[in-house]
Amino acid sequence: MRSGFAKAWTVAALAAAVGLGLAATPAQAQQSIKIGWAISKTGPYVAGAKITLLDAYQLWVKDVNDAGGIMLKSAGKKVPVEVIEYDDRSNSDEMIKALERLINQDKVDFLFPPWGTAFSLASAPVFARAGYPQLLVTATTDRAPEFAKRWPNSFWLLGTATMMADSAVEVFSKLRTEGKIGNTIALIGVADQFGIELSTAARAALKKANFNVVYDKSYPLGTQDMQPILTEAMRSNADVFFAASYPPDTFAIIDQAKVLNYNPKIFFTSVGTAFPVIRARFGANAQGIMGTGGWNADSPSLKAYLKRHVEVHKSEPDRWASPVTYSSLQMLQQAIERVGLDRAAVIKELQTGTFDTVYGKVKLENNQFLGVFQTGQWQDGEYYGIGPTQLAGARKPIDKPAWKQ
Amino acid sequence: MLVVDIVLTGLIIGGMYALTALGLTLQYGVARIMNLSYGEFLVAAALSTFSLYVGLAVNPLVGLLIVVPVAFALNWLIFELLLVPLVRRAKNRDVLEVDSILATFGLLFVIQGVALVIFGGQYFSYSYLSIPVSVLGSALAVNRLVALGFAAAIGIGIYLALTRTRAGTAIRAVAVDPVAAQLVAIDVRRASAFAYALGGALVATGGVLISMFLTFHASMGVEFTMKALIVVIMGGVGNMLGALVAGLLLGVGETAVARLLDPGLTLAATYVLFLAVLLVRPTGLFGRSTR
Amino acid sequence: MSRWWVGPSLVGVVVVVLALVPLVANNYYLALGVSLLYFAALATSWALFSGSTHYISLATVALFGIGAYTVGVIGEVLPWPLVLLVAGLIGVTLSLIVGLSTLRLSGIYFVIFSFGLSELIRQLVTWYEVNIHKSVGRYIFIDINQTQIYWQLLALTALVLFAGWLIGRSRLGLALRVIGEDEVVARHAGIDTTKAKLVMFAISSLFMTLTGAVMAPRWTYIDPAIAFNPMLSFEVVIMALFGGAGTLIGPILGVVPFVLLFEFLSANFPNYFSILLGLVFMVIVYALPHGVIGFVQKRLPRATPPPVEPQAVPLKTAGAPLEVVGLRKTFGGLVAVDNVSFDVAPGQIVGLIGPNGSGKTTVLNLISGALPSDAGMVRCDGEAITGIGAHHIARLGVARTFQLVRVLETLTAVENVAVGLTFRRRPLHGAEAEAVARGLLARIGLADKADQTAGQFTYIDQKRLELARALALEPRVLLLDEWLAGLTRSELNEGIALIRSLREAGLTIILVEHVMDAIRSLCDRCIVMNAGVKIADGPPAAVLADHEVLRAYLGDANA
Repeated sequence: MRSGFAKAWTVAALAAAVGLGLAATPAQAQQSIKIGWAISKTGPYVAGAKITLLDAYQLWVKDVNDAGGIMLKSAGKKVPVEVIEYDDRSNSDEMIKALERLINQDKVDFLFPPWGTAFSLASAPVFARAGYPQLLVTATTDRAPEFAKRWPNSFWLLGTATMMADSAVEVFSKLRTEGKIGNTIALIGVADQFGIELSTAARAALKKANFNVVYDKSYPLGTQDMQPILTEAMRSNADVFFAASYPPDTFAIIDQAKVLNYNPKIFFTSVGTAFPVIRARFGANAQGIMGTGGWNADSPSLKAYLKRHVEVHKSEPDRWASPVTYSSLQMLQQAIERVGLDRAAVIKELQTGTFDTVYGKVKLENNQFLGVFQTGQWQDGEYYGIGPTQLAGARKPIDKPAWKQ
Repeated sequence: MLVVDIVLTGLIIGGMYALTALGLTLQYGVARIMNLSYGEFLVAAALSTFSLYVGLAVNPLVGLLIVVPVAFALNWLIFELLLVPLVRRAKNRDVLEVDSILATFGLLFVIQGVALVIFGGQYFSYSYLSIPVSVLGSALAVNRLVALGFAAAIGIGIYLALTRTRAGTAIRAVAVDPVAAQLVAIDVRRASAFAYALGGALVATGGVLISMFLTFHASMGVEFTMKALIVVIMGGVGNMLGALVAGLLLGVGETAVARLLDPGLTLAATYVLFLAVLLVRPTGLFGRSTR
Repeated sequence: MSRWWVGPSLVGVVVVVLALVPLVANNYYLALGVSLLYFAALATSWALFSGSTHYISLATVALFGIGAYTVGVIGEVLPWPLVLLVAGLIGVTLSLIVGLSTLRLSGIYFVIFSFGLSELIRQLVTWYEVNIHKSVGRYIFIDINQTQIYWQLLALTALVLFAGWLIGRSRLGLALRVIGEDEVVARHAGIDTTKAKLVMFAISSLFMTLTGAVMAPRWTYIDPAIAFNPMLSFEVVIMALFGGAGTLIGPILGVVPFVLLFEFLSANFPNYFSILLGLVFMVIVYALPHGVIGFVQKRLPRATPPPVEPQAVPLKTAGAPLEVVGLRKTFGGLVAVDNVSFDVAPGQIVGLIGPNGSGKTTVLNLISGALPSDAGMVRCDGEAITGIGAHHIARLGVARTFQLVRVLETLTAVENVAVGLTFRRRPLHGAEAEAVARGLLARIGLADKADQTAGQFTYIDQKRLELARALALEPRVLLLDEWLAGLTRSELNEGIALIRSLREAGLTIILVEHVMDAIRSLCDRCIVMNAGVKIADGPPAAVLADHEVLRAYLGDANA
């Protein structure tokens, strides 16, 4: 009896194994999970892409594989991640071709998005048509809710220009109520989609909060000679200086404001303010500079993330997009662990599930993540999130001292 | 005073433009090489300076003494090994121009690729001599003043060398007519190699100096090549003073537009100025007309 | 026997095969195909203008971007064919601006000018978007999938090739080749160079703009940085030059390996792409000195059609009278020609002599239209010819040779002369033109060298060729600028005999010369100039003994 049962069970188990083996096409798919990305490794976008996306992508892959891989229920074990990456050379056409290559030739299981709002939008139809989830971090557009509806597989995780503007104006309004600043703002913006959207949103939020914009100009993309425009902003005598800027101009603005001894009560620059190079280059003069992004530096998970990032990359992450990117990948991992490699199921899980990430607990609303810090400030060598004020770990803003020459 | 401020700030910005274009004047004007990889050398010099400063605490002005001779030697080598074969086989100047465009296009990718491998893709930015000094009521950064000073000194110095010394005259002869120059016993190849290497040294100087105040990354070279082309052509091919004046003019024009009109039109104004100059003087400000 | 239909048929077959690709290929190969096709369209249209005229344009991306932006702005408002039409019109209008700049600029100055213009357009579009439209990017949600883009690009490329083929066989094509070789010769052969350049650039730009418009839906979102990326202009130039910009198929031969090389390196060496691409590219450049087309052409048999029988056309021209009234020309502070007047009766040979720098060649340049005059008038057979453009003057029957001989070096002798026949008032083409050209060459004494390229000719043969080309215009007035200079004794005698035969045929001739024997034996009359002023006018014997004249030539002490 016992041997008969055992034989029957063995035969059944063998049949099941063979059946499963044939059904799982091809059997290697479960030897590794293929992740692909096309990212700017050369060309003008290379610097932005590295610090906000690529470093986080690579760190995640390393962390996952160091832990043995992602747990796949269908395989009953952890499966390592295999990466196929291409360089889009900061060229939209190349990026689309590379994505098609990843989808059609390399047949990857999941795709990570390219860098920047423009490429995010250009790649969205490709992701959508092929049914891949698209976890967008470096895509800040006010039309995100509309796009989330058009492409339900797309997830917009860093917030919109309106959110950034509203948060900053909230901080300014509080300071005005406290009597720390007056009513006047000098507003400049880079003449690129991000700069324009942020400037437009800022203008609207400032008007609603009864601020008076006394200087309002934009400058061409790539400008690093900010002295003329800063001189004019200085002459306007505004209490708040707000620049919707990109990294090279952000650094130039800070440097040249220092040379001009331009000391408005609030000094706000945008992309790049969250980069650790601010501290490296400006040292004590970074104190009090406000900008977009920020994080809860006291959070243990983020502290650990910082430490690991330095160990692996020998450089620090930026305090805005990088942790969100990493969190998005953790969300993907957990979704895969819950529902497997079926991309439609993963998309559904991302839309509805709750996830544990270095950023904390994340649950998306309408494919968007609303829990990101939008306003930060350099305080004593670290870039803390200060707004939206209801987020956990939001610090109070400090006064900005005058530039030390 | 608004005008003084505009002019001074403009000269500073223009000094940078001029500094980064003087090398190409020599390389294209004398050696007749349309060097599309020009900007990559500037970026390489800037990145090297960053490494020296941040890594070994060698300040950029001292770094000049290291980077510039290396650039000179490297460019001499490149001319002898890569460009001389093209010069030899080119039947006329037009063919050489086409060939040099193609070859230096390839060189552009090689140098950028090496820079990316060594330095990676991120932003490089440091501060040196970012101290304000008041000149006629305008606050100017010392590092930018230094760049302007170098631009003026180099431009005028080389102009004087070209016009007052024998070697300089030989170089000018090669620029005008290499065949005739050979007939009067000028070693055209050496003169061209020297001019090309000197051009490389100049662009490295530019890279070292402007790294004191600009932010760089390894893929930025093309922007500088294009700006340099504008300045060189506007000034008149092969004319050092022309490049200097053109650069300064562009800087002042840009600043004036930024202060008086709209900062969003600065680049547009630069190009309008460039196009206008060419339409009025079809061979640049101080250029020679050709057949 | 020329099998002219072979090339086009081959292309047609390839087009049909390529059109079937989307039916079997996956999205990746389709994307690759799109890349290849849009570069092919751009490079071929670029070469249509820049390849033949040698005006290297870097304005490609301005036109491409305008096409894409047009779609961004009106793409969702108008039906697609209308969008393309509007884009094309805008492109052509824009091209006129660039084209007109070629009237002032040439060489590297034109190249960088076109680049600056392209960047200016990008800045202006950005400024407009920022300040007026308040949003820098344009979203393109038009329902066109990759396959449709592929087919449109294929059709566009085929159209460009067809247009190029037609133009290559037309007068416009020849005109552009001549312009590319020597614009002065072109004008003096009756070619309206301005019109030719503008028309060709407009056609080229039309295709570039349409390419941009067709590509736009691929990106979903465009902003000026994407649509007007300057690297594109450089890449197109590089590919076309690499393949061989002087031919129709050359650019495509550059595009295909270039794009495939990029693709291969991108796919396999993403981290060392730059270095490897640069090295491979440089190696190829050194290995193929004449571009890919040169490599291909060396290995293809050249079918040369048999020559047509020469047809001797008697030179029976009614020489026209020429009146020069008060001509004046200054260069800066220097007065080169000061109030010079003289008449030439039909069929006369007038010698125009004087010391170097006296303004003789300038007078010829003013008459032929090579230079504009500051004051004065020239009348040919009663018709005013000042200020009407050198090509009109040539068509009216005023032909010339140049002091520094100008032949079209890459064309054969027959082709050189044929240029003179193609753009004159009674144009000839095809077999008839060839026959007449050979006849003219025989008359000049170059029959045995008729099929050699002019660049290989000796100095004296080049001079003869230039004269043949001038005679091909059926001139009524012939201007010879030191045509007898540098000849040996026997060559001089032949030359004098030739000129005499022309006069006997009835031509009016003005001869600028230093060779006094020729002046004495040929000229009915002599006009002497010194320092821009006419100082003597009369029969050679009298003039050459004139006190003033001797003083001008030999200086005061020796007069």
